[in-house]
Amino acid sequence: MSDSEPVVLVVEDQKDLAETYYLWLRDDYSVTVAGDGDEALEKLDEDVDVVLLDRMMPGLSGREVLEEIQARGIDCRVAMVTAVDPDFDILEMGFDAYLSKPVMRDQLTQTVEKLLERRAYDALLQEYYSLVEKAATLQASKNQSELEASEEYSDLLERIEQHHEELSETLGGIEDDDDFIAAIRELSDVERN
Amino acid sequence: MSNETEHVYDLSGVLGGEALSGVRPGTSILLSGPSMTGKDALLFEFLAHGVGRGESGIILTTEGEGEDTLREIESYTPDADPSLLAAIDCRARSGRETEHLDSGAVVYRVVDPSDLTGIGINITTHLDRIRSSNATACRMGLTSLSTMVRYSDRETVFKFCHVLLQRLESAGFIGLCTLNSEAHDDQTVQVLKQAFDANIEFREHDGDRQVRVLGIGSQPSEWQTLG
Repeated sequence: MSDSEPVVLVVEDQKDLAETYYLWLRDDYSVTVAGDGDEALEKLDEDVDVVLLDRMMPGLSGREVLEEIQARGIDCRVAMVTAVDPDFDILEMGFDAYLSKPVMRDQLTQTVEKLLERRAYDALLQEYYSLVEKAATLQASKNQSELEASEEYSDLLERIEQHHEELSETLGGIEDDDDFIAAIRELSDVERN
Repeated sequence: MSNETEHVYDLSGVLGGEALSGVRPGTSILLSGPSMTGKDALLFEFLAHGVGRGESGIILTTEGEGEDTLREIESYTPDADPSLLAAIDCRARSGRETEHLDSGAVVYRVVDPSDLTGIGINITTHLDRIRSSNATACRMGLTSLSTMVRYSDRETVFKFCHVLLQRLESAGFIGLCTLNSEAHDDQTVQVLKQAFDANIEFREHDGDRQVRVLGIGSQPSEWQTLG
């Protein structure tokens, strides 16, 4: 993730809705709007952090756009905007969240924030694992007194502790079932890629 | 962490010793040691003991059959309410299956241990069930991490443990997982240990099976012989 504003791609065929979402989000994010699935794929690149994807559109469906995002291996989070209330199936399909129409302003901004937070969680978990693995390598190759004398080792332990705390704070330590499933699904996705 | 009244988990009925009498909610414990040292039996006893105290229990078995596993757990606590229990096994023929047993227990099935999303959804379903029942405490068992590593890799299993144990921690539940320490290199064992708060180590010593507890209390407990 870059230090600049996160990029949100809004894919919505109803112009007035697309405009509304744009106005709600533009203060905090860099927002791009696409009027259908094909335009979405044109505007989709590595810079996109979050996609808001309407389920029912003329041309490519939300599902098809999602499949293309996955096929291209673009690391963004995708919220589906739908008229019906779906179940966990939606999360399993690969969507990271869903919004039921009509979408309220608070819902929209909270969902985008949540998805960015999940992304931060996944990145943090990856760093945490790397540190734990490094520490384990030292533990497996050095004896206790060598470990105690090693500055590298004590530094690693400190960073592991910091990451552990940060992970506990991100997503409230995963208090919510959707976050839990999304975090686990992310592990399987990484494995498949 | 749970904001509700702190339910303290008493695991001492199984192993004895002070270390395990007041385990705080959210604690995760790794049961590690060579094969055939009694890790599964102890894990099942921990779950049974919880059910005997009115806590809920869920067991994920990567190799065993769900209903058999539940029967084994129930055998340690014949008077307890079996409907507090659920199992997830990895023997679904296709997709995911849910079976409600006559005892009131539930068996969830996924196709194999690499279906982490399916496992996660089943755990969530059980957590929902707990919320809607009277049980406010739960022990979750997982046997074994070694099989999970074989189906994916240690990085994925480490992260899975971390995410799962964080979920259990915020619900105020206890997580207990087994690891066959002979099945992996030292580094893998070290990595997986890091995902847990505490460790019960198993060993074979002079023909006896022994365990000790590390990470609960400031000192490791003495080795004690299993009956």
